[in-house]
Amino acid sequence: MESSTTRPMVLAVDDTPENLDVVNGILAAEYDIKVAVNGNVALKIAQSLSPDLILLDIMMPEIDGYEVCRQLKANPATKDIPVIFLTAKSETADEAEGFKLGAADYILKPVNPPLLKARVKTHLALKQSMDKLQAAYAVINRQKERMQRELNVGRDIQMSMVPDTFPAFPEHEEFDIHALLKPALEIGGDFYDYFFIDHEKLCVCVGDVSGKGVPAALFMAVTKTLIKSTASEDHSPASIATRVNEEISRDNPSSMFITLFIGILHIRSGEFRYTNAGHPYPYIKRAGGEVEILKPVHGPVVGAISGVAYREGSVELGKHDQVLIFTDGITEAMDVDDQLYGEQRVIDHFKAVPPEGLDALVASTLNSVESFAGEAPQADDITILALSMNIEPEDVSGETRKCVIANDLKEIDRVNDIFNEFAEQCGISMPVSLRVNCVFDELLNNIISYAYGDEEEHSIEVIMGYSGTRLSISIADNGVPFNPFTRKDPNTELALADRETGGLGIHLVKNVMDEVIYQRRYNRNVVTLIKHLDK
Amino acid sequence: MDVTIRDEGDTKVVVLQGKLDTNTTPDVESAINSLLDDGVNNLLINFENLSYISSAGLRLLLATAKHMEGSGGDLRVCSLNEMATEVFELSGFTAIIDVYASEQEALGGA
Repeated sequence: MESSTTRPMVLAVDDTPENLDVVNGILAAEYDIKVAVNGNVALKIAQSLSPDLILLDIMMPEIDGYEVCRQLKANPATKDIPVIFLTAKSETADEAEGFKLGAADYILKPVNPPLLKARVKTHLALKQSMDKLQAAYAVINRQKERMQRELNVGRDIQMSMVPDTFPAFPEHEEFDIHALLKPALEIGGDFYDYFFIDHEKLCVCVGDVSGKGVPAALFMAVTKTLIKSTASEDHSPASIATRVNEEISRDNPSSMFITLFIGILHIRSGEFRYTNAGHPYPYIKRAGGEVEILKPVHGPVVGAISGVAYREGSVELGKHDQVLIFTDGITEAMDVDDQLYGEQRVIDHFKAVPPEGLDALVASTLNSVESFAGEAPQADDITILALSMNIEPEDVSGETRKCVIANDLKEIDRVNDIFNEFAEQCGISMPVSLRVNCVFDELLNNIISYAYGDEEEHSIEVIMGYSGTRLSISIADNGVPFNPFTRKDPNTELALADRETGGLGIHLVKNVMDEVIYQRRYNRNVVTLIKHLDK
Repeated sequence: MDVTIRDEGDTKVVVLQGKLDTNTTPDVESAINSLLDDGVNNLLINFENLSYISSAGLRLLLATAKHMEGSGGDLRVCSLNEMATEVFELSGFTAIIDVYASEQEALGGA
């Protein structure tokens, strides 16, 4: 026997039991028939059993069929149940009244059995289609909401990955930098970054991940992190690109790739070394106003093929020279007639913009693109990064020496031996050398004794540089983040009994050197010390 | 680092040769501590052959000076080179430890 739940349920409402018998006789073979002898009972059954269709008599005592229909349509639980009026009345005015109330159909009494069967069948089929359609709409809406949430997640990842505090390095007068990322509606995977890799080398990068949405945002996050960690120990843009490419292409099932520009600016000399991996050409506007295209491309997009050895180029930036790096969201922005913004417009705008701050340059570049695009939607992320030299370039050529030691106090002597040899070679005077010996003793002792919370062996990197008028020392360790120069100076005027032993070493370092700089770079503490020498 | 100790009248003269830093200070510290344990009252540390001193050496001098002040003794240092002089000045040690230009001067003034 067929289960009653699989058969459509029809509710018949009539105050004359004989009429109900007739309907029951016609439909009971195919449908599950429920009956109600007045309007109130009909409303209760409709609410509790949710029939698939209601056959409703109009002329009933207490509440008539019109009122029942009105109440059914006003109730969210019953409003979608099709109602067919069954009535002896045949005036067209009544029919119109019924349809106005939301009735599905009208059948005259006495009922014609085949007609009743056919109409019920038709309306049940209609109802079923409607239900399916609504279910489909619900699925679509849920999907749409999910996609929107995903888009938001992707955008949050993207925007949280790019530094956006300007001025970015207020303590540095040598250069200026400004950048902007305007994500498209559907995230395109653009990113930029800038960070110091030593006390006078600034690494900047701009990239554009192929693909869109959350996968692009995640890929961008991975790439950006890889670049930063690689650059912390490798100061060649070509070498950074080569290593990042190896890392990404080795395990890249989604076959995504990145167009990438990496530049390293020496903030005192103005030397700008760069690698272009399939990225749009950046432009340089010289202090005189002429614009140059940084044309070389040094290798394919990153992540596509392994084993690529990227090359690099170099350009000298003079005082007030500006570099403009961007993604194809600029050049490929379209107006309403599908015309591209194009490279020439970037160049023309760059030439025309008055030499004000880089923030103005970046804002007006975006503005120019947006005015051009007009009502056309932004199809891709837009990234603009501008960099400028603010000082006359200095000559920084000279000697350097690098050594790596273990975290063992005995190694301090080795560093001092290497330094003394270096100092002798460079003709650095004995009094200066002795002071630097003292500085190494203080700082290395601090690092070796306090920077590590474990008993493991760690490496400390020491770099010495000499340029004729300037001696620079940098010491990098991967210990716990610690800036030694924030320590309060000891009071050197107290009487003997009140004097404390702490803090003297750092006090000496700060006073015998001319500049002391602490930076937390990626996962390393980097202390840079400068001594200006008279020649 | 070489530490030589000799007597000049009632003064123990400690002559340091080399550098006084993280790695060498512990040896000098034990040499000086054994003198203090013996109840030495007049101590002169000669810096003539000392190339440089770092804060590790300063901490030893400070501890020694405090100890001798407590026991009514007298600590002097002499013959500081330019580097050591600067370190003494920067750390305010010239005000709390008697510094002499030469050993002769330090002993003559004792």
